Amino acid sequence: MIKVNYMPELLLLFFSVLVFPGLFFITSLALFTQYLVRKISARYQNRMGPSYVGPFGILQPLYDLLKLLRSKEVTVTRYNMPRVAEVALLTGLAFIVGSVILLPLSPYAIAGDFDLLIFFYMTSVMPLFMFVIASLSMPNPYTNIGVSRLLSLATISEPVYFASLVIPMYLATRGREPFMSISTAYLSAQDLWLKPQTAVIMTLSLLAFVVSVQVKAMFPPFNIPEAEQEIIAGFETEFSGPILALARLLHDLDITIALIAGTYVLLGGPAPSRHLSVEGAFLLVFKYIALLLTVITVKNIMGRYRIEQALLQVFKYGLIPALVASALTATLSYYF
Amino acid sequence: MGCNGVKPYELVFLVTLSTLLALAFLALLYYSLKSKRLRLTTVYLSGEPENVVSSITPSVASLYWGFMKKFAKSLYNVLVEKVHTGNIYDWFKFISCWLSVLLIVAVAVFLTALMGG
Repeated sequence: MIKVNYMPELLLLFFSVLVFPGLFFITSLALFTQYLVRKISARYQNRMGPSYVGPFGILQPLYDLLKLLRSKEVTVTRYNMPRVAEVALLTGLAFIVGSVILLPLSPYAIAGDFDLLIFFYMTSVMPLFMFVIASLSMPNPYTNIGVSRLLSLATISEPVYFASLVIPMYLATRGREPFMSISTAYLSAQDLWLKPQTAVIMTLSLLAFVVSVQVKAMFPPFNIPEAEQEIIAGFETEFSGPILALARLLHDLDITIALIAGTYVLLGGPAPSRHLSVEGAFLLVFKYIALLLTVITVKNIMGRYRIEQALLQVFKYGLIPALVASALTATLSYYF
Repeated sequence: MGCNGVKPYELVFLVTLSTLLALAFLALLYYSLKSKRLRLTTVYLSGEPENVVSSITPSVASLYWGFMKKFAKSLYNVLVEKVHTGNIYDWFKFISCWLSVLLIVAVAVFLTALMGG
């Protein structure tokens, strides 16, 4: 039953979308995530990383974003369509921000059967699609190669990402209402890790998830779509100033929302505690950081693959575990 | 607060509403903050003139061939180099391995079904 006719509900919806966990919160989290990626990567490489803006350099990503937005000029060629790029990138951002009301974290959380499908469409399919439209509206031969590589990788990594979330969610919400919903799934994720027969499936799903997030983030070893030195900046070669700021923000939000989804569906979010408790908040942050640290570590210990190598590795370490997990889930559902 | 167990069309309506709200606010924020300066330049081609490339804009065909040449070709190579080499013994080796796997899977499924009742 929709209750948005009532003023308090509408205000709560506004608060959820614009403040917490919407625009303000998720943008802050995305910038903090970028800070951690840069700082920890720098420590891996014996560098300082961001250090001067804010305490421990924590405000450096915000400063970079504002500088790109306000101070830098947009450079355009006669082939470019900067307005199309802006609208596409803003739409991609809006899809991610709008999806937060499907998260149990939201004060105005909504849940229904198969809401994961809507969440996946909004946080994975549409941002990628909008990225591609923005890149192609600022054409360049390097962009062409970058987009081609991006789409080739997405052909394999998107089904892997989808499977890594759908499989645990199916197991967690079987026989429950609402079915295939994030708000139901996170409550049972912990039980799935404790049972031996489902722990194997969860491990395979987690492996597939980490590989697919690495591809989505375009972190090494899967940074071939934006391979520096080889194809300049790949799909974002012609982006500059405010458009580059939007593209960077969309990229960071894409990683953040994927990690939040993994934290809830695969690791159980605040479970066994509640959201509104100190332990619950601590567990939520701890699980998010643990997933992020895994991704950063893989980023820093591996070199870049060529495109055909990258596709093969995603196939081996992403798609095959996801397929095995699917087969095991089907077998388990049939017999139990 | 919020709604639990909402119908699919209500869910889509609410999510669309929140996306439109986010888009309106983001657009307002972006267009009020962004730098208005614009500079016309040439396409970046590592210092080369524009006539070194046949086309600036990408074609759909290149996206298709990017996938076909880089990845699908490797699958095709497996077929050509390991299955259809032209040698009957290679084919026999491949097909006997494949049928053995199928046999093992069939026996495993049969035994599991027997044990499961």
